[in-house]
Amino acid sequence: MSWAKEVEELKRRRELAKQQGGPEGIAKQHGYGRMTIRERINTLLDEGSFQEQGKATAVPDYDDDDNFLGFVPANYVLGFGRIDDRRVVVGGEDFTLKGGSPNAAGLRKSIYAEHLAIQYKIPLVRMLEGGGGSVKSSGKRGGSSGGDSVFSEPRFKVIADAMGQVPVVSMAGGAVAGFPAGRMAASHFSVMSADTAQILVAGPKVVERALGVDMTKDELGGAHIHAKSGVVDNVAANETEALMQCRRFLSYLPSSVYQRTPRYPCDDSSERMEKDLLDVIPRDSRSVFNMRTVIEMVVDLDSFFEMGKDFGRSQIVGLARIDGQPVGILANNNRVYAGAMTAEAAQKYRRFVELCDTFHIPVVNFIDQPGFMIGPEAEKKGTIRYGMAAVAAAAQATIPWCAIQVHKGFGVATAAHYAPNAYVLAWPSVESGALPLEGGVAVAFHREIEAAEDPVAKRTEIEERLRAARSPFPRAESFGVHELIDPRESRPTLCQWIDWIQPQLDELKGSVKFSMRP
Amino acid sequence: MATHNVESEVTGSVWKVQVEVGDSVSEGDVILILESMKMEIPVESPADGTVAELRVQPEEAVQEDQVVAVIES
Repeated sequence: MSWAKEVEELKRRRELAKQQGGPEGIAKQHGYGRMTIRERINTLLDEGSFQEQGKATAVPDYDDDDNFLGFVPANYVLGFGRIDDRRVVVGGEDFTLKGGSPNAAGLRKSIYAEHLAIQYKIPLVRMLEGGGGSVKSSGKRGGSSGGDSVFSEPRFKVIADAMGQVPVVSMAGGAVAGFPAGRMAASHFSVMSADTAQILVAGPKVVERALGVDMTKDELGGAHIHAKSGVVDNVAANETEALMQCRRFLSYLPSSVYQRTPRYPCDDSSERMEKDLLDVIPRDSRSVFNMRTVIEMVVDLDSFFEMGKDFGRSQIVGLARIDGQPVGILANNNRVYAGAMTAEAAQKYRRFVELCDTFHIPVVNFIDQPGFMIGPEAEKKGTIRYGMAAVAAAAQATIPWCAIQVHKGFGVATAAHYAPNAYVLAWPSVESGALPLEGGVAVAFHREIEAAEDPVAKRTEIEERLRAARSPFPRAESFGVHELIDPRESRPTLCQWIDWIQPQLDELKGSVKFSMRP
Repeated sequence: MATHNVESEVTGSVWKVQVEVGDSVSEGDVILILESMKMEIPVESPADGTVAELRVQPEEAVQEDQVVAVIES
């Protein structure tokens, strides 16, 4: 007797798993304008690279009279694949089956995805859709008998652990609620598709029951909400673009904290000097300039990948390359609150510094910092606490760090822009101190101003006098900065620095004391 | 016809209004300039079109995300 019968059954079950929720389930998914999980996986990965794990995972299905109906495939698809020829783990809920709500086999696979990434030391990409647990399953056959044992490891520990060891990326293709929404937030990079996805702690029915508020899932957790809430880093126009953003994010990251960031050959000359950098910073400090253009003129052409543009908008963060080396970019956006550090900007800043530190990505920081955000709203939001968390993250960062003093650098918030042993450059347009001139004069010279016949004129006169005396040269003379540079020299100077830090990057591999948390 | 709300990214006060109702504008044209954190912050048109409404006047206080003008295209 051979095992032909079992092998035949195995084949049948593998085929069954590929059929997902059947033609009807798939048609329904397409009817909503959404891809199935297998289509998402194929769009994300290098062609033909998917190697599925747990192909025959399924649960037996019974009707109400306990008649055996057959097997239902696990509603979570998991496996290895390649992105730009580097191995990754991919997984996601199969929404064509029971609305993505986990069956027992599906839940096991979804939890195992994190273990797999940690064990093989490769990135994890989650393609999320679904609502987590259902009260229905707790009363049914094979349902909960009181939960996990008291001594079992917390289910979420592996999610937190993964963030300290391998890149974790999440993409929302449809409505994501409950546990999957938690996974979405627990990522180094997350992106939702604007036309198909929502992210919700709880959906409309639960919200209506608890709060009496009648809202659609899009009103509650659509892209317009979460681009600004900071729950997702980026919003993409559609699912394909969202998946392409996942690929792009990973191109800047090492496969794990134990590897070096991938460095690619670079066509952009390290000697390129953009002439527009000479007059990009206005001499009048009331006028704005476009910091994003500054970044683009300095980093490798088309290499800047911004994250979280609409959350904490006074701070710009993103990944880029300089001479082919991935770097983290931090820059103040003076068009929003003069680039001040708001509570939101500070949270964005801290997370990004922790991301770079965890994966040993060097940081280049374009500083135009007027200080922590001030005023009644800023005080109510607890700006100083989030701000100090950002300062602490930078103060304990272990990565190579280049600080370019582009324009302003005032107050305690400025401390967030320097890690230990930073390489410090300054442009001639730099101004710095405890307080900006305007506010500072009003405080320091208040007696003189109040005693004057025309206080406003007196204040302006003092401001003008001090402004005229301002010069960038003393900080270079006293070795307060490493170099005072022509702004056009920024790229060549940074490319040189990238060369200097290569031995340090070799040494930094491994896990850090404070890795990134959600 | 599509309408586009022009929103302020910041809290501040209106310093100068650069257009009038009925003016045609291109995407990126400055609608008005706010003063916030001692800087002059331009608020730009999100689309090509005509200024249909101006909802604020000079010296008026503006909140973050407030609609300050409406453009029709």
